[in-house]
Amino acid sequence: MSAEPVASTQSHLRQRQMDLVKKWAGHIPAYLILGLWSLFTLFAILWVMLSSLKTTRELFADVWALPGKLHFENYVKALFAADLELYFLNSLAVVLTSVVVILILAAPAAYILSRKKFKGSNLVTLLFIAGIGIPLPLLFIPLFQIMTGLKINNTLFGLGVLFVALSLPFTVYMLTSFFGSLPVELEEAAIIDGASDFQVFFRVMLPLGLPGLITAAIFNFIGLWNEYQLALVFLNNPKQSTLSLGLYSLSNGMEYTGDWTGLLAGVVIVMVPTIILYVILSERMISGITMGAVKS
Amino acid sequence: MKTRKRLIVSFLLPAGLVYLAFFLVPTAWAFYYSFFDWSGFGLNMQYRGLGNYIELFRDPIFLLSLKNTLFILVVGGITVFALAFLLTVLVNSGIKGKKFFRAMVFLPNVIATIALTTLWAFIYNPSFGLLNSFFRVIGWDAGAKFTFTSYDHIFYAMLVALIWIEVGFFLVLLMAGMDKIPAEYYEAAKIEGANQWQMFTGITVPLLWDVISVGTVLYTIFALKVFEFPYAFSQITPPTTLYTVGMYLYIEGFGKRDPIYRLGYATAIGVVLLLCVVVIVLLLRRLMRREVIQY
Repeated sequence: MSAEPVASTQSHLRQRQMDLVKKWAGHIPAYLILGLWSLFTLFAILWVMLSSLKTTRELFADVWALPGKLHFENYVKALFAADLELYFLNSLAVVLTSVVVILILAAPAAYILSRKKFKGSNLVTLLFIAGIGIPLPLLFIPLFQIMTGLKINNTLFGLGVLFVALSLPFTVYMLTSFFGSLPVELEEAAIIDGASDFQVFFRVMLPLGLPGLITAAIFNFIGLWNEYQLALVFLNNPKQSTLSLGLYSLSNGMEYTGDWTGLLAGVVIVMVPTIILYVILSERMISGITMGAVKS
Repeated sequence: MKTRKRLIVSFLLPAGLVYLAFFLVPTAWAFYYSFFDWSGFGLNMQYRGLGNYIELFRDPIFLLSLKNTLFILVVGGITVFALAFLLTVLVNSGIKGKKFFRAMVFLPNVIATIALTTLWAFIYNPSFGLLNSFFRVIGWDAGAKFTFTSYDHIFYAMLVALIWIEVGFFLVLLMAGMDKIPAEYYEAAKIEGANQWQMFTGITVPLLWDVISVGTVLYTIFALKVFEFPYAFSQITPPTTLYTVGMYLYIEGFGKRDPIYRLGYATAIGVVLLLCVVVIVLLLRRLMRREVIQY
């Protein structure tokens, strides 16, 4: 009599344990595959960081070994001897300015396209979005001609103009769908209160749309910070290089200079700002990809 | 009504003008340039009719770069989507650390192309690379002697690295779509005795169709214009086996180390690229059109 409930509790317990084990066992392939994938990426980045602190001789003696002593002078050399400090500041200036101008241009346009339908507004939206599908290499030669004509070729200013123009399709698309997803009630209330269209935009739409604007800003910042193809085509002036282009030239010169750990230090310098942004804001960035592509 | 018009004009015009001047007008010009023989900025252009296009389709290097680009599109695309789907299902299988794994797989997408190509140069380098030395340590001789960066292998080596980057982007896209599918659907299917594969083909794919079709278009555009990653991949002058259409355009127009400056010809390459985008995207939209399932 008294043994029975104990036995049943025990078998019940065992059953639960079995279920738990089964559940865990079922998850092993998932942890294994995702774990290996993540480990590879993590390892690759840590390897670059650690190797950038070795001497080139140490690096080639054994690529897998840890640095014996931390050679921070690689960074000093990369920054000052290879001019990366100048390129870093160039990139920061041109990318930040471009991002601000992109938002100043794209946000009002996206507001009109999402909220103030007019005759032909769908066509205008379509024209903007079409830019996403136009391959940039197609524009290299005509743009080179335009830039030379305007005498802004080989300047950071000219590069900034291109950054702005070529980022518009994606940004307008992203913000149009973001503004479109916002509730209209607040705008209507503001209009009833007698606010003008301009006031509605500045006092209601911009504050409400702030998360979308920030996401668009981060996206553009990372994309422009990382890009080197426009810089490669439109900057041919060692003083006006961007960081990505400077690194490209540095890596192209490796067969002559052989300063591989200096190059790795440069790689760390270009990676760190975007990785920091990503660590802080990864959720927001990830939501940005789906803005527009996945309807809510 | 008048203020409304003023609002529309003043809000839309600045963006519209910049976009027109530096994007749409150059696109239109590209078509015009592609009919000329033009050997340098500032030099005279000579009308060639369709000559550039006819030459293109007899140019073995162009055909090779086109083949490579289509390979990235089709084989690369299928691999990227298969892996992204697999990882999405795994991340969503109820494990812990869902956000961590998603963030890790996406990570390469926020790193500068040039940083990634340098990293892969160290992975693949035949004399001091991580892979070859790893194979040496584990005693796999054939692997240790394999040259990933040789003339014949470098394209595939590059594609593997490119896939590693792109999977993260499409994982994020698919996950966001999947998060919108109500969990009850899967529970109901489980009660009915459906297995994982049946749930995947019966629930996940049809309900994600919209996302899949947008993703396919995005990948197509990306694959056709890809330039930065393969161009920097070889570190020195890229071998022709690595050429994509975008790379060949740049090399014909602006030269590598010895400038070529065939501007009309290079622009014709760009026009072919644009036509590929238009045709393939329209075709995909037609093929993938289905009734949207509301849920």
